[in-house]
Amino acid sequence: MWNRCSTSNETDNISVQSKVLSDSQCKRLHNAVLEVLERTGAEVYCEEAVELLKKAGCWTDGLRVRIPSHLVERAISTAPSRVVLADRNGERRLFLEGNNTYFGPGPTNPYFYDLETGERRDVLKSDVCGVAKLTEALPNMDFAMSLACISDCTPGLADVHEVHAMLQNTTKPIVTWAYDVNNLATIISMCEAVAGGQEELQQNPFIVVYAEPTSPLRHSKEAVEILLYMSEKGLPQMYTPGVQGCATAPASMAGVLVIAAADNLAGLVINQLKREGAPYIAGAVTTNMDMKTMIHCYGSSPEFSLMHAALTDFIHYLKLPTWSTAGCSDSKVLDEQTAIEYSLSIYSAALSGANLVHDCGFLETGISGSLESLVMADEIIGMVRNIVKGVQVDDESLAVDIIDKVGPGGNFLTEDHTFKNFKKEFWIPRDIDRDIYRKWSTKGKTTYGERLRARAKQMLQESQPEKLSDDVLQELRGLVDKAEENKA
Amino acid sequence: MDLNSIYQCVITGERDRIEGLIQSALSAGCKPDDIINNTLIKGMDEVGQKMKDGDLFVPEVLMSANTMKTGLELLKPLIEGEERESVGKIAIGTVAGDLHDIGKNLVVMMLEGAGFEVIDLGVDVEVERFVQVIEEEKPDIIGLSALLTTTMKTMGETVQAIGGKTKTMIGGAPVTEEFAKEIGANGYAPDAVTAVDLAKSLIS
Repeated sequence: MWNRCSTSNETDNISVQSKVLSDSQCKRLHNAVLEVLERTGAEVYCEEAVELLKKAGCWTDGLRVRIPSHLVERAISTAPSRVVLADRNGERRLFLEGNNTYFGPGPTNPYFYDLETGERRDVLKSDVCGVAKLTEALPNMDFAMSLACISDCTPGLADVHEVHAMLQNTTKPIVTWAYDVNNLATIISMCEAVAGGQEELQQNPFIVVYAEPTSPLRHSKEAVEILLYMSEKGLPQMYTPGVQGCATAPASMAGVLVIAAADNLAGLVINQLKREGAPYIAGAVTTNMDMKTMIHCYGSSPEFSLMHAALTDFIHYLKLPTWSTAGCSDSKVLDEQTAIEYSLSIYSAALSGANLVHDCGFLETGISGSLESLVMADEIIGMVRNIVKGVQVDDESLAVDIIDKVGPGGNFLTEDHTFKNFKKEFWIPRDIDRDIYRKWSTKGKTTYGERLRARAKQMLQESQPEKLSDDVLQELRGLVDKAEENKA
Repeated sequence: MDLNSIYQCVITGERDRIEGLIQSALSAGCKPDDIINNTLIKGMDEVGQKMKDGDLFVPEVLMSANTMKTGLELLKPLIEGEERESVGKIAIGTVAGDLHDIGKNLVVMMLEGAGFEVIDLGVDVEVERFVQVIEEEKPDIIGLSALLTTTMKTMGETVQAIGGKTKTMIGGAPVTEEFAKEIGANGYAPDAVTAVDLAKSLIS
């Protein structure tokens, strides 16, 4: 299912938006980032990348690379300002441009809540199938992620198996992760098999790969090799530092933004040096470390949402597609805390106009997830989208003629105008309750959580994602088997 | 002629199509009575069920009710003299002191859609007026509506004045089953669809 109001593009001039940083604040942030990269630089644990940087004019000292400002500015200007993601069939669906905001689940959580037993347990490949099936069915989930780091496979091949599961259970674009460049090659081969070739996938990509630098100012071999590989392939890349104020960044929000942007833009420089014009989606997870528990706050910190929105402003200022985070919580179970953290982070991300927003369905700071959480995130996004779309003001919506026709004391229930517009103008809940007490009580006095579980079960049962052809399935199987052999 | 298309037309609430469909059914020799009972009323029964199941929204149900009514008005003159049996006759109004009528109007439309003959007494209806209507029109049921907790009291007085001369049913946001029992009304319905079921059961 696709939600018609996924994009705010068509109603850009009336949609509700917010800005955290002014242009002059963006300019100062930009200068600070350029200064950090030129003065302090970064450690790059990949020879090929160090060579590329050196050749381009960086000052290098072993792994330490200092990047002159003009190289960063050049990379910002050569990267495309927009990236379009297609669905599995090559139809162009997500336009990562302007303030269009798209949502999807998160990656790499080791635990999952079993939908049947309610128990927290290791996450399995079958859970990824379920997540993909639900993503396919949920109208406000625009792209798929595994919501897992699966345990029931050969160690070191979870990434390959997860993409294998997703490709078979959803047609929506996939954002995924990879242990290393070998596994990534298998993943891209699988996607090329589905697309019908390398060029087909490049033209209408339905895969985005996610790699992470090790903040502050460090770039691991694995992460950089993924950057280089994706760049060479001309496929969309995300490079997302996880930056924590008080720990991996200064104890100030602007300081967090400087580290986040410096790490992300160093990745962009490497990516563009490898192949100018390679599609790159900029962003970072920006938060603070809790100074009592030492956890990486993931939704429970208001600054988490505020800094994500600020970073989105900055990336918009640089004219690059943006990556952000929402629909996640530090609560251990789906409860009232989860609902608060999901709602605020989703609302904030939508207002900021971040293009690709991940981590919906996360619990426990990204350590676990569940299908019912994903269903809840979807309903919250539905509500939020109906706020962000704004108020339409024109002759049809002002409806002065209808008001005159109905007159004082009349009602609008039976008007054609009502019949035509009530669903368009006003949001209709799926599991949020609006029953009168008596009806709610006859239906079993259920809580929202209970209804979400029932809904997840029902949707899982009814979702029937389009099947891949037997030839493609066989090809995918072959690629997975080959990766298994190589691991053995 | 496929009577099913008239039935479907009621369900989808396509008021503009109903007249044409009924005309062709009549030209094809279908009996007006047959069309009413087997398409219009049956269609509204289905709409009521869908509403209860949560598959339809109120504006859609009202479109269906209007479609049904348009059809009924077209067919009624054709069966006059044959004495078509109405499902039942109901007089309905919002009690004295209360001007709210959206809920009451909804019930009126749903009852008409289900084939009832409805006398709509409007809003702020005095106790005496209800009693008078019973004498003049001899309805099977009197329906009372109230939105205000303050006018619920008047509901009790009205039911008392009617004194069992005819069946009574009540509804409105603050009204409950318990309250209906307390004031001696014959039935309570929480919404317009249930009101139709209630009216049917009070008559049978």
